[in-house]
Amino acid sequence: MTAQEQLVFTAPGAQRAHLGLPQGTPVAVSVHGLNLYYGEVHVLKEINIDIAAKQVTAFIGPSGCGKTTLLRCFNRMNDLIPGCRSEGEIILGGRNILEKKIDVAELRREVGMVFQKPNPFPKTIYENVAYGLRIHGIKRRRVLDESVEQALQGAALWDEVKDRLDESALGLSGGQQQRLVIARAIAVQPHVILLDEPCSSLDPISTLKVEELMNELKQQYTIVIVTHNMQQAARVSDRTAFMYLGEMIEYGETDQLFTKPGKKRTEDYITGRYG
Amino acid sequence: MNVHRDTTWVWLNAAAVSACILLVLGLLLLITVRGLGHFWPTGVHEFTVLDEHGHRSRLVGQIRERERVPMERLGDQAATLDGENGLVTRVLVKSGNRDLTGQDFRWIVEERILQDNTPSSMAVLEREEWGAFFGNVIGLKTNGVLLKSRDVWGDFQRMLDQSRQLRDEVYHLERGEIGSINYRLEQLRLKEHGLQLAGEGRKEPFEAIELERRQLQSSYQQLEARLTGLNEAMLQNSVVVRTGTGAESDRDLPLAGIIDAWQPNAMSLTAQLQHFFRQLWLFVSEDPREANTEGGIFPAIYGTILMVLLMTVFVTPLGVIAGVYLKEYARQGLLTRIVRIAVNNLAGVPSIVYGVFGLGFFVYTLGGSIDQLFFSAALPSPTFGTGGLLWASLTLALLTLPTVIVATEEGLARIPRSLREGSLALGATQWETVWRTILPIASPGIMTGVILAVARAAGEVAPLMLVGVVKLAPALPLDGNYPFIHLDRKFMHMGFHIYDVGFQSPNVEAARPMVYATALLLVLVILLLNITAIGVRNHLREKFRGLET
Repeated sequence: MTAQEQLVFTAPGAQRAHLGLPQGTPVAVSVHGLNLYYGEVHVLKEINIDIAAKQVTAFIGPSGCGKTTLLRCFNRMNDLIPGCRSEGEIILGGRNILEKKIDVAELRREVGMVFQKPNPFPKTIYENVAYGLRIHGIKRRRVLDESVEQALQGAALWDEVKDRLDESALGLSGGQQQRLVIARAIAVQPHVILLDEPCSSLDPISTLKVEELMNELKQQYTIVIVTHNMQQAARVSDRTAFMYLGEMIEYGETDQLFTKPGKKRTEDYITGRYG
Repeated sequence: MNVHRDTTWVWLNAAAVSACILLVLGLLLLITVRGLGHFWPTGVHEFTVLDEHGHRSRLVGQIRERERVPMERLGDQAATLDGENGLVTRVLVKSGNRDLTGQDFRWIVEERILQDNTPSSMAVLEREEWGAFFGNVIGLKTNGVLLKSRDVWGDFQRMLDQSRQLRDEVYHLERGEIGSINYRLEQLRLKEHGLQLAGEGRKEPFEAIELERRQLQSSYQQLEARLTGLNEAMLQNSVVVRTGTGAESDRDLPLAGIIDAWQPNAMSLTAQLQHFFRQLWLFVSEDPREANTEGGIFPAIYGTILMVLLMTVFVTPLGVIAGVYLKEYARQGLLTRIVRIAVNNLAGVPSIVYGVFGLGFFVYTLGGSIDQLFFSAALPSPTFGTGGLLWASLTLALLTLPTVIVATEEGLARIPRSLREGSLALGATQWETVWRTILPIASPGIMTGVILAVARAAGEVAPLMLVGVVKLAPALPLDGNYPFIHLDRKFMHMGFHIYDVGFQSPNVEAARPMVYATALLLVLVILLLNITAIGVRNHLREKFRGLET
């Protein structure tokens, strides 16, 4: 079994509803009974969802519905927020990643993340991509060179920056920066990539490029994307989850959800009655 | 209405800013003029003065100051003066020749000056002792025999050059080689004493020490013989001078005691400028003489810079580590709030309190223990148990620590959360994130703190007086003797030098220009240290420029 296959598992037994996925679909992340609190505020309420491996899953919903918080559970980014605690389990790679003993740094290596605003480090383009590799102890120049090129090619940025790898990453345009950040994330070869509204600060052309990139990336990676933009969700995702006020309202095939929503609230949202 | 109010505020702000700038410029101008004037070759006047009893007398000297005073202030003298609206003008004359007249400066009332000449032959002789000499050079002697010379002044300058070379040689011999031998002899003595204290039973180590000592002593004797020869050579020549006050006072001055000689009245502008820069250079490069009222301030500059650099080396890592801990690691709660308040209050503690703490804790407690443990051979004379470079730097590091901590915290607070998350999301641990991403980006902010710390430390005097600054240090804290940097040595400091020369000196009038010159130099040194630090910061800022949106 390769590492990729190890990660993927099928939900065992029938007692667990194979949440929103047809039987036999490989599952990358499986969330069961997840509750999350910021202090006294109950932010995520009884979330149950299975995320299909090597597909694009989109979380949509109005602002403050908890979709980003849910996303940040997958790589334990919420740990950084004081007073945040969670219950339930998230099975990823055969273990419950919410457990205390989990090595968070190791987990985050498996689960890459791209943020709302491009956040390249104030280093050269090369060093940005090599950052994660260096963190994980790779020092040999040849290996680094190879990985950096691969990652940049994977993020469809190589052709634009191959002659200026030693220039500051801050000199790139917003769209290029966002693709650089994606390259930085895939350089450490994660299994899952989390995208938190990756196009919200980009112009339409850059957005298009990132969206095309997602299509490429899902050949290799499981992608979870949070987006405000329903058209984007419809364009890029295979499956969509609609969240509202911390609850998972509906989860299903994207086409299904957008054309024949099963719940009234979903329909109201996607038809623009509130948002 | 609103527009009117707005412009009022703008004008008020502009006025406040201008006032600040004017004050700073005025201050700089004052110390520059007063300080640099000291090095300009002022003309020497020959006055014929009528005293209150109607006797004529002659007075030679440089005009230092001129002021108008009410006649009453002159006391009995006033009866014989005319004055003008009850005011008279009086002149402060530096008459030099302290060995003859016993006083360096005299006030004379301008009205009483009958004649005022500036003869071009009048010379100023700067001496090792007794201050300046004003008078004419009329002949030269070697071994007491008058030399025939057509160009006395020219020959005098040539002889002076020779004697200067000799003096340099003597200086290097004394300070350099003999100083180094003395240092090694002292180390040997301490080593021997240490062995005795340790109860060393074998003879060999003592014999080895004795052998080395004999070698050192024999080389010392050779050097001393050379030194005696040089000293004799220096005493051969002398110059015959005549004071302006009378032909009867021809005197022989040994050339060995003369540092420099010039004829200010005969100097062209270029010569004056040359002289000015030469004197300026001597001021920053020479040791002080005559209880610090003459000569240069090199050891003080050296001590100041070395102490500040050492302080920076101590305070930067300490402050940065403390700031990083408080901001990145410590759980933000009551305790961290209290710590933060304490740090801020520490910045407000008067500096002399730090001095007392440094003396009590560093010098007596720490230094005393270090002496007991490692330098017992030297006891009862203390090594680290007395003020010194190390303790002074540490005391100032403590004093400036809050500045660096606060600046570090603020620098860290300005870093966008997204960068932190970006690094963590790649699987970096907190330490890796801080070390590889956060600290480099925060470095300009941290440097700002270090700049403030340097500026504060370089100007601080009060605590230093308790923990290691002295009026006159026999040796520099950094020299050619192993281990090169002597952290236990006392040192000189420009701030303290100003205080000492200006207010503790036996000859306040003579010292006054030195005070201004030293103050100017202190400002320049602080400026230099700051510019260096600012340069470093700007370099760092340039590196992370794109971040500031």
